[in-house]
Amino acid sequence: MPVRVQVKDLHVSYPDQVVLEQLNWEMAAGDQVVIAGRSGSGKTSLAKAIAGILQGTGQIDITFDPSSSFVRKAIYISNWYQFTNLEGDRNFYYQQRYNRHQGHDTWTVKAELLHFAQKEGLDFADIEQRIQDFGFENVQESQLIELSSGEHKKLQLIKGLWQKPQLLLIDEPYTGLDKNSRQVLNQWLDELAAEGISMMLISNDQQLPKCINRYIQLHDGQIEEVSSMEAIRQDAKRVKKELPAFLKEKPETSYSHVAELKHIYIRYGEKEVLKDVSWSVKVGEKWLLQGPNGSGKSTLLSLINGDHPQSYGLDIHLFGQARGSGESIWDIKEKIGMISPEMHWYFDQQATVWHTLASGFYDSIGWFIDVKFQEKKQMEELMAFFDLTEHKDQLLHTLPLGKQRLAMLARSIIKNPPLLVLDEPCQGLDTVQASYFNDVVDELCQYGKTLIYVGHYESQLPSCLEHKIVLERGEVLAIEHKVENVL
Amino acid sequence: MANYFNTLPLREQLNQLGVAEFMDSSAFADGVNALKGKKIVIVGCGAQGLNQGLNLRDSGLDVSYALRKEAIEQKRDSWKNATDNNFKVGTYEELIPTADLVINLTPDKQHTSVINAVMPLMKEGATLSYSHGFNIVEEGMQIRKDITVIMVAPKCPGSEVRAEYLRGFGVPTLIAVHPENDPQGKGWAEAKAYCVGTGGHRAGVLKSSFVAEVKSDLMGEQTILCGLLQTGSILSFDKMIEKGIEPGYAAKLVQYGVEVITEALKHGGVSGMFDRLSNPAKVKAFQLSEELKDIMRPLFQKHQDDIMSGEFSKTMMEDWANGDANLLKWRAETGETAFEKTPAGDVKIDDQEYFDNYLLMSAFVRAGVELAFETMVEAGIKPESAYYESLHETPLIANTIARKKLFEMNRVISDTAEYGCYLFDQACKPLLKDFMAKVDTDVVGKNFNEGKSGAVDNITLVQVNDILRNHQVEIVGKELRKAMTAMKAIKTI
Repeated sequence: MPVRVQVKDLHVSYPDQVVLEQLNWEMAAGDQVVIAGRSGSGKTSLAKAIAGILQGTGQIDITFDPSSSFVRKAIYISNWYQFTNLEGDRNFYYQQRYNRHQGHDTWTVKAELLHFAQKEGLDFADIEQRIQDFGFENVQESQLIELSSGEHKKLQLIKGLWQKPQLLLIDEPYTGLDKNSRQVLNQWLDELAAEGISMMLISNDQQLPKCINRYIQLHDGQIEEVSSMEAIRQDAKRVKKELPAFLKEKPETSYSHVAELKHIYIRYGEKEVLKDVSWSVKVGEKWLLQGPNGSGKSTLLSLINGDHPQSYGLDIHLFGQARGSGESIWDIKEKIGMISPEMHWYFDQQATVWHTLASGFYDSIGWFIDVKFQEKKQMEELMAFFDLTEHKDQLLHTLPLGKQRLAMLARSIIKNPPLLVLDEPCQGLDTVQASYFNDVVDELCQYGKTLIYVGHYESQLPSCLEHKIVLERGEVLAIEHKVENVL
Repeated sequence: MANYFNTLPLREQLNQLGVAEFMDSSAFADGVNALKGKKIVIVGCGAQGLNQGLNLRDSGLDVSYALRKEAIEQKRDSWKNATDNNFKVGTYEELIPTADLVINLTPDKQHTSVINAVMPLMKEGATLSYSHGFNIVEEGMQIRKDITVIMVAPKCPGSEVRAEYLRGFGVPTLIAVHPENDPQGKGWAEAKAYCVGTGGHRAGVLKSSFVAEVKSDLMGEQTILCGLLQTGSILSFDKMIEKGIEPGYAAKLVQYGVEVITEALKHGGVSGMFDRLSNPAKVKAFQLSEELKDIMRPLFQKHQDDIMSGEFSKTMMEDWANGDANLLKWRAETGETAFEKTPAGDVKIDDQEYFDNYLLMSAFVRAGVELAFETMVEAGIKPESAYYESLHETPLIANTIARKKLFEMNRVISDTAEYGCYLFDQACKPLLKDFMAKVDTDVVGKNFNEGKSGAVDNITLVQVNDILRNHQVEIVGKELRKAMTAMKAIKTI
């Protein structure tokens, strides 16, 4: 008899907000549940409360199966990974992957897994096949700091699922995973369900494991049951607002290409991360950059953002200027509006929404000197445009993920840059938020901007994309131009 | 070579000791222009060398590395650091003659031999930069008269210099020009440009002199920063073990407590740190620290006197010549202390508990910071310099202790700091024997407030607060901290 969960009168609140109120709910034996719905509706709080990580009032009873061979506990896999360096510190910066040098800052994936196995009493042989299925075997010698966001997600899932707890709670299991890995994960979850493990997934994804037989959503602190994913309550499509006037001005471009890279190799010791990559991006072009997890997408973008120390000495021209010819990385960053999962997650924890936007003028992670009158006006217009005005004095990292992303997008366009580099900008957004976000990107791009966009979900892309570059194992697999519909 | 400071007349000694000016950000409006297009050659590619070089290059400057032939041939870490990052690397003979600016970022101990090798190769009118003035001031290195000598000293480890730069910030930095070597009058412009290239101008820059930097830096590092934090940590741990506190808890309280407690110091000075204590605890910590100040004052004065007279550097250089006999012996002893050998327990200690259960450390820190500051100022060092080398750096070292404990902390600090730290620790422990005999677990290991009413005498509290808040280190500190707008929290576990 699989696990059962009973929630009685659960109440969870934060200092300024009630999240769950007098919530009563039961998860019967054999239920495989998905919680969907709006970002900020309390999904994570509910899962954490059930897992015993978050203290609320009320009662939560989990009845485990004493006869089951699976571990008698509930494991929560959070929506973002955390790791520390060898000194136990977590104070990373987003470019650290490219600045690790000779030192060993963090454990290797293999060491981390072995340590985990020892701590939890697990057998490494049990997981080897899964590691292979995930295409994860060739990163085992990599340090944790070197992993991409998708690879971190895989590591996190491997660790959680390996333990085979009777109750598995996974918050956003698909974040950052490529298409193939999402299928591998679903198959794995189905196998676990067949073996008698119960699960609760937090997701708005349409492609779920077959075993899912119950759909719930949270509304006003209460649970509502629905019949399928299609029936999940969606916010009304957002009313489009007028784009602030300063963003309709075509940025100055005195060059024909924003980036020209020729025969680029990037190596860390023996490991080749990029192999003979050539790519030209002309002013005004809209590019989709694709490739499986770990194929080198972020490394390629780091060359364009001025974030990679190996850029010097390579044949790279940015905004018409040869790299290493006297330009500073701040001269480069000034022309780029950038957003990426790593930048978001390593962003300054002390920054408010207002600080976040202001720092966009300086391309810093939360720091600024002063903000001029005109700049303040732009910030106010943009906060109003993204409905962020009421949150402007709140700490960025305390907002729901969807709001955080919008603030990061606002930060990236505050200076009306000629180039937008959006690396998986819709991670963690719900369907309505993502389509709204992409509509904004489409509109922005009408005004002379160049776009480089990374996204794993083909249903969640802006429609202005007209060129595509695909990477695989560090090599260019395909470049397609002027396709009617690159999707 | 004669000690440079001792060759100066008193008037000039005081003159150079008294240089300290917190620079306005408008002083850096010219950016990196003074070095734009110039050839910069860095000697040494360790943590400071590599990370400063990465920052300078990312600021649009032309940077390469000169390494010793053996380092290149044997492909040592310094060679790998530089080549992995696509820097040009060459021998001294290949690169130094082309350099407009040579940046010496080798360890202090190697300075004399490095400078002797590099100087003859430097072109006429080039600039030589140090990040510490020991070689010039204490060893009395004479630099060719056509060469400009500057100092740019970021007050953080190399990895932080890089991390903060890439976040768009910087770390507080001290800059100086050697008055004997500024033939073209370009020293300040180049020092400022170099400072901008590392991001230092965003976090507060102190205009100093070689003399003021050395005499205050040595004093700070050996007394409060490394010395007293080490002595206080060891004595506190031993006391808890003696009184039966669980060793894992004691180890964690000491290792991380010093970081949490000095984090409050960083934001609000000594009074900010004491404000984290309850009123009765504050009065108690005040009394203990007054007592500690009385006991330790002669030792602080002796350290300052020996630094000023050159006695300290003379003794240390004798130890260098003697194969580091004393240093290695003391280092080994540090590795053998009970604190070092006891791993921090897997217990959760929240922020406030560190203050409540480890009141003694707040007393140690106040006594050490104020004594170091007072002694430096009495010796002719400006309060701004004294602040930097006492209160300002304490949280940085505490952070290192939290990450690595004492043995490793001593390994990562400079040669001079490590030697001075042991010297202080050796003398301080016996000095505090009687004091420690009276101390009980109410001030170290258990919550001081437990079973107490919380009542204090009004007048006593007013007087205590008054003394804490009106100390000169607090008044100077408030001004300087205001200027460091981007000062960020050190993340704790």
